[in-house]
Order: sequence, then structure tokens, then C-alpha cells
Amino acid sequence: MGDLPPKSTVKRWLVTTNHKDIGVLYILTSIFFLVVAGVLALLIRLQMLESGGTILGGGEYNQVVTAHGLLMVFWFLSPFAFGLANYLVPLQIGADDLAFPRLNAMSYWLYLFSGLAMVVAFFQGGTHEGGWTLYAPLNVPNFVPRIAEMGETTAVVGLALFVVSVTLGSVNFLTTIYRMRAEGLRMRDIPLFSMSILLTVWMMLFAFAALLAATILLGSDHMLGTHYFTDIHGGSMLWTHLFWFFGHPEVYIVFFPALGAMAEIIQTFSGRRIVGRKWFVIAMALVAIQSFIVWMHHMFLTAINLPIKTVFMVTTVGISLPFDLMVFALIYTMVKGRVRWKTPFLFAVGSLLIFILGGITGVFLGAIVLDYQFRGTYWVVAHFHYAMASSAVALVGAVYYWYPKMTGKMYNEFLGKAHFALAFVGFNLLYFPMFVAWESPRRVFDFQSGFSIWHQIATVGGFLFALSFLVMFYNLTKSLYSDRHVGDSPWAYVGSAEWATTSPPPLENFVGTPSFASGRLNFIGGAEADGGVAESEPATDGGVAASTATGGHDRHADHASWWPLLVSIGALLVVVGIGGQATSYVLWPFVFSLPFFVAFLGIQGARRDGRAAIHNLYLLLSILFFGGLLYVFSLHHGGLAEGFQNASMTFYLTLTGAVIGMYALVGMGYESFHVPEPELSEQWPFEGITNTKLGMWMFLGSDIILFGALIGSYVFIRIQYGWVDFLHDAAYTHKAVWPGLVNTYALLASSFTVVLALVYARRGSRRGTLGFLGLTFVGSALFLVNKSVEWTDLWLDQGWAYNTDIQGSVYYLTTGLHAAHVIVGMLILLFLIARAYTGAYWEEDEEAHSIEYFGLYWHFVDIVWLFLFPLFYIL
Amino acid sequence: MASIKLYGIIFVVLSALTTAQFGIEAVLIDDAYWVALGIVLTISTVKAAAVAGWYMHLKEEPRALTYVALAGLLGIIALTAGAAYSVS
Repeated sequence: MGDLPPKSTVKRWLVTTNHKDIGVLYILTSIFFLVVAGVLALLIRLQMLESGGTILGGGEYNQVVTAHGLLMVFWFLSPFAFGLANYLVPLQIGADDLAFPRLNAMSYWLYLFSGLAMVVAFFQGGTHEGGWTLYAPLNVPNFVPRIAEMGETTAVVGLALFVVSVTLGSVNFLTTIYRMRAEGLRMRDIPLFSMSILLTVWMMLFAFAALLAATILLGSDHMLGTHYFTDIHGGSMLWTHLFWFFGHPEVYIVFFPALGAMAEIIQTFSGRRIVGRKWFVIAMALVAIQSFIVWMHHMFLTAINLPIKTVFMVTTVGISLPFDLMVFALIYTMVKGRVRWKTPFLFAVGSLLIFILGGITGVFLGAIVLDYQFRGTYWVVAHFHYAMASSAVALVGAVYYWYPKMTGKMYNEFLGKAHFALAFVGFNLLYFPMFVAWESPRRVFDFQSGFSIWHQIATVGGFLFALSFLVMFYNLTKSLYSDRHVGDSPWAYVGSAEWATTSPPPLENFVGTPSFASGRLNFIGGAEADGGVAESEPATDGGVAASTATGGHDRHADHASWWPLLVSIGALLVVVGIGGQATSYVLWPFVFSLPFFVAFLGIQGARRDGRAAIHNLYLLLSILFFGGLLYVFSLHHGGLAEGFQNASMTFYLTLTGAVIGMYALVGMGYESFHVPEPELSEQWPFEGITNTKLGMWMFLGSDIILFGALIGSYVFIRIQYGWVDFLHDAAYTHKAVWPGLVNTYALLASSFTVVLALVYARRGSRRGTLGFLGLTFVGSALFLVNKSVEWTDLWLDQGWAYNTDIQGSVYYLTTGLHAAHVIVGMLILLFLIARAYTGAYWEEDEEAHSIEYFGLYWHFVDIVWLFLFPLFYIL
Repeated sequence: MASIKLYGIIFVVLSALTTAQFGIEAVLIDDAYWVALGIVLTISTVKAAAVAGWYMHLKEEPRALTYVALAGLLGIIALTAGAAYSVS
């Protein structure tokens, strides 16, 4: 598909890959989740009207608190910001879209469906009850049997799906900002909102990978019965380390986009450039880096030792210093400027005031001794709402600020100010009393009777705050149909490129190609910017404005695809079904979906490239493969009929989802979807490579954290256990050194052959390309066969399974995740082989890049094994 | 891209180093465990660097790509080292 249907059709919003459409979808969807989580918040406040509760039972209250936290943090705050980022970042940097439009659409759909899965979890016997921090081991089935219910697992897996969405988004934004800036736009000069998004996605790339690792381990403890978090050798500490390594950067992930928006708004309505811009940017970068070395201040009341507590107290207090600089820069900008009290400005300043209070009260919690007193009280609740919800206030201001750009209409100023007044009073009435009643214990609804009045005031504030949003919904909806049209820029002082195009912008964003090469914004092949004020100096940042010849002129960019939606529907079915599986069925839907993938390769390949022998071969292989799997399934479940009869409905739901997902992934792979790279763009510091290669490397950066966290968990547990005794005590009779050695040779050989496939593709040799791709497949197949022999020996012959002991858990899960990567690689190889067979890669050098990108993934899988081999087989 | 010959040499060296690791397990692990651990992990690091440098072409790519990978590595080392030390 290529062209987009009109906006008035439903189809447009299902197939669009355009960044502005997806930005709007993100914003509207995040507001939906705001309403859901907001209603849950009001239930909490009603429950807190008097000590002992009013309307909810204990378990229900726990579910409501947990879902409120998860939905607000993950499905409202960040996506709300990324709706704006989707819409604005390409405009601000002079690009016509994000680097990978279909991945962007997939990010959105995975986000939506993961959120819906969280809501569905309520109706699957109850959702997660362990708080948004999901503290293990208290929430694993061994300790709280009710948690074995389906909804608990759905919530964990839904969160993992959200992380996948976030990772795709991070890769996309990083590639876009680094590779698609308009000519002459140096990195240091990109608008502050885009700068804040850049730093945010860096943090997201690494932090969310740690969360993905944590949710994989937790999901495994839930569904398979591994012992990661129930083991006495640091299991509970392991969760807190993994979670807070993600969790503290998450605070800034939520706040940074708001900070960037705040800076833009304050600049505009103070009528001047921000004071100390360079230092403001440096301070943001410092916070982004420091955010990864403060996580243990969330663990002062655990068993970590005093020296490390002291170190983390220092780093925590240290991170407040760059924030001080940023706050003073914003204040001084207002002091030096001529302030105009428009609605966006009110929200920005209100947010700043709220954040200052949230920041100062956070420093208290960063001090070890004070934290001993405050931890587990309403002080923490008040503090993090002042810190994190301040970003919601700023982002609401951002919506007012950019609403005219997005819609071409001006909102009602009076209603905007009324909204602010209600929101600001409501917010403070809601959260400030919590500081007063701080001795109320957190997470429960019993508190000292003297605090009732404060909790009742907070409840009134909560309803007032909620009411204020209704004013906004009315204002923005009514204004959309008003006749208050605006031009390119409704504001007197602006400094970024989005104000130099029409409101709303055209599909390709600009008429002509934006360029900052002259020191101010110009359009090559279009009209001069109207109202655009370029901030940049007339120089590039050491890089070259790269000119690429990828054929952008001869073919129009594609904007529409069904596949991202279809892949995500498959993922949704998997997530809502997987929690209901018996342990012996959990993996089977995915295993059964593999032959379907092979069959779809044959069918789709024949459609796209014309029917060839390879497609017939794939169809035949898929039938044989499926038959083989049915045989193993029947052995595993005491007969084929018995196996399918005893499977639950959720098994078939998960299977359906997996098969749909496979079909859609193949369809996406074969779809002709043209995304030209910009012909003239600033690409420092990643010149001389393609967008896809950079995207692949960014993904690998995230995967390093994912595997690193698993290996790190192994190291942590083993040190706790006693390094040398760890393997000596394992319940097997002998290590599998030989299979590990053989597999290392197999993977090294397959790395070698995939490099050779690339060499021969570039030489135009069909035989060489096909031959070495085939050998790579054979090498990886040998790896898996050898692995299955190894597992059979350990599991069936020696009686050492994944749930036998902690050693078994870490061994099977870590090497199993690696094997899953190998299987994914083999599926991609089958696709590459089919394409190479029918003429791709070796006929045109350009397409040989696909083999190179696959090779990057494959070599990474090899590198991971180079560490698993010594750690799990030798040492 | 490097020549096929160079890729072949790298493959042979990587395989030889793997064999060396296996040999160390056989002869050194019981008598000098920590020395063996240091040698084996150092060899793995060298092998990984060779794969990244030549097979993944990091030697020829913009240096910033190496920094992306190193940033991830640094993050995970910080997590593992901090977590391990915190309960020591």
C-alpha cells in the first residue's frame, strides 16, 4: 500500500504510518488511559475518606492502586509526551517523517493493545496487586496463591509488550534525530523539546531493556515456576536492583519531555531565548547520565550495606545540582523577559512550581537517615506525585501551546485559564495535605484518626483536579469546530521550524526542503520561512551535510500499511491468552506458530516474487515440520487427542495470536514500502551509514542491556550463593562442557558464513550468496539440535530441570532466551534465502544491505554465546 | 570490507581460542580456579572484540557506533557491579 485515505475515514487511522497521525493517535489514546487511571484514582480517594476504607475490599484496593500506578506512569504520562514528540520532533528538526514509519505505527498499536490488555486483566480473575513496583517475591504464585490467576500474569506480560513498543519507539527517534536533521542544524542547536526527547529516548533505550529483562524473569517465575525471585540467595534483592535500575531513570523519562516543553513555552511567552541555553542542555545530559547511578536510594531500607548507601546518597543529592541549574535558567529567563500570561505559560510556570516542591521533598528521601523515617509513608506518595504529575501539568500546557499548530484553530483563552485555576488549586489541594498527614502508612487505607480531615481535603482536591480536565476536553473539542483560525504561527516569539509551516502542516511537513545552512531557516525549492526564527549559527557540527542518492525523486514515499496493526492484534491475543496456560502448554503456541511462518514465507513469497521451487519447498517443509511437532506434542501430553482436549480455550487464543503475528510479520517483510532517506541532511556523528544500520545498532545497544541484565542476574545470584559452590551444588551429575564447546564452534562458523554471504552478494554471485546463507542456516540448526541433545541429557537423563533449583532456573532461562534469539535468526534466514533465490541481494548491491543488517544481529547472538559458554559451561 | 582470507584467519583464531578455553577447563580449573576464570573471561572478551571489530565491521564504521555499544556495556557493568557489591 502507498497512499493514505482521507482523514475522515476510519481506514486512514488504521493504516496510517504518518508521524502526525500517529502523534494524534498517541495523544488521544493516552487521554483515554488518563481517564481510566483517573477513575481508579478517584476510587482510591473515596476509599481514603475514612480510615478502614469505604467502598473497596483489601484485594480490590490493592488492584486499583496497582493499576492506577501502572496505567498513569506507563500508559498515560510517557505516551502523552510521545504523542507530542511524534507530531513535533520531525517538524522541529526539518524532517518529513520518522526514520521508520511502519515501526512507528507498530509502536503505537503495541502501546494501545498492551494498555487494553492491562484493562482486560481486571476481568481475568483480578489484575496485579503488588503495586506499580511489582515487588517480587511477594507477588509470585509460591507466596500468594491467588496471584496464580490469569490477570496477574496478563499484567506482567502486558507490561513486557509495552516495553517492546517503547524500544521500537526509542530506536526510531534516535535514528531520526541523529540522521534526519535539516542541513545546517547542529545537534546542539535542535529545539529544546527535541533535545529533551533525544535524551529521553537514550534513557528509554537502556532503562526499559532492564525492565524487559525483569519482566521476563518475573513472567518466567509466574508461568514456568522458575526460582529467580523466590530463591533465598538474593532473590528479593535482585528484583529491586533490576526494577530500580529502570525505575529511577523512568522518573526523568517521564519528566524530561515536560521539561523540554516547559522551556519552549517559557521562551515563547517571555519573548526571549532561554538564559544559559548551552548549560541548560549540558545539565539535561548530565541528569540523563547520572540517572543510571542513583537507583539504590530506593533501597535504603533493604539489606544493602552502608558504604553503598552512602555512595548512592551522594549521587542522589548530586543529581539535584543540574536540576537547580535548569530551574534557575527558566526562572531567570522569565525575569529577563516580558512575560505574557497565556494559558500554556500558566501551566508551564505552575508545573515548575510543583516540580520544585517535588524535587526538594525528594532530596529528603535521598538522605539515608531521613529516608528511614519517611519510607513507606504518605511523604513518598506526596513527593512522587509532585515530581511526576508535575510533568502532566506541563504537558497539558504543551497541548495548549501546540494545539493551534495541530488543528489550525485557537483554543478559548478564558476556558484555558479557568482550567489552569481549577487544576492548580485541585492539584495542590489533593497532594499537599499528604505532606501534612505524612505519617499515614502508604499502600493501605488505615491511618491515624487525626489525619482524616487531611485525607478528606485531598479527596475534594482529587475531584476538583478531575473536573478541570473536563473543562479542557470541552474547550479543545469546541474549539476544533470554531472559526478561530490561526496562521502558521499564532505566537509572537517562536524559535523552531514547526512554526514555519502551515497549521496544520501538510503531509510532507514543508513545502520545499528545510535548510539552516545560511544561519536561518530557508526552504530549498520552496518559499522563504514565514515567522520562523532560526536559533542556529551558520555552521555544521563537524559533520557533513550528507547527500544521498537513494532514489528519493523517482518514487513517492509510502504512508499506509495494514501490517503493523495486524502484528499488534496477534500480540494482543497472545498477551491476554498466555496467562491462562498450564505450565506444560505455555510454549506450545509459539512452537506451533513456527511451521506457519515457514508456510507463509512460501505463500507470500510466491505472490511477491513469482512462484519458484523454493516456495514449494517451504510449503513442504512446513507440513513436515508441523507433523513432527504434532508427534512431539502427543508424546508430551500423552496422546494427540488428549493434548488438544486438555488444552484450555486460552491456549487456542494464544495460538491464534501467534499465527496471526507470524502471518503479519511475513507480510510486512514482503511488503513493498518505500521510505526514502533525506537527500540533504545533517547526520553527525553517524555519517556514512544508513538509517537502518544505525537503527539496528541502537536495537543491539538495547539488547546488550537485556542479555547483560540476565547475565548480571546470574552473576549476582551466584555471588550470593557462593561463586564456586554454585555449580558444585547443582542437582546434575556432570556439566555439559562438550555440547557447549561444539555449539561455540557452530555459532562461530555461522558467523563466518554469514560474512561470506555478504561478500558474495556484493560480488553479484547468486550461488555464493545462497550457498553461504544456507550454510549459516545449517550451522544454526546444528546449534539447536545439539542444544536439544544437551537439554534432553540434563533434563530427562539427569533429572535437572528449570524448576529443580536456582542453578537450573538461571541456566535454562538464559540459554533458552539465547536459543530463542537463534530461532528468530533462523526465521529471518529463511526469508533471506527465499529472497536471494528469486533474485534479491545479489543482483543489486543496494539490497545486499539486508544481509549485512541480519549479520549484525547474528554476530551479536554469537557474542552473547561467547560469554554464556564460559559462564555456564566452563566456570 | 576485509578480504575473505582475513575473515577466514579470524575464524580459525576464534576457534583456536575456544579450544584453548576448553583446555584450560580441563587442566587448570581444579587447581587454580580464579586464574582459570581470569584467563577464560579475558579470552572471551578478546573473541567478542574480534567479532565486533571485523565481522560486524565496527573497525570501519563511525566511531560513534562503538560508543553506542560501549554505553550499553557500561550500563550493565554498573548494574552488575553495584548490585554485587551492595550485598557483599
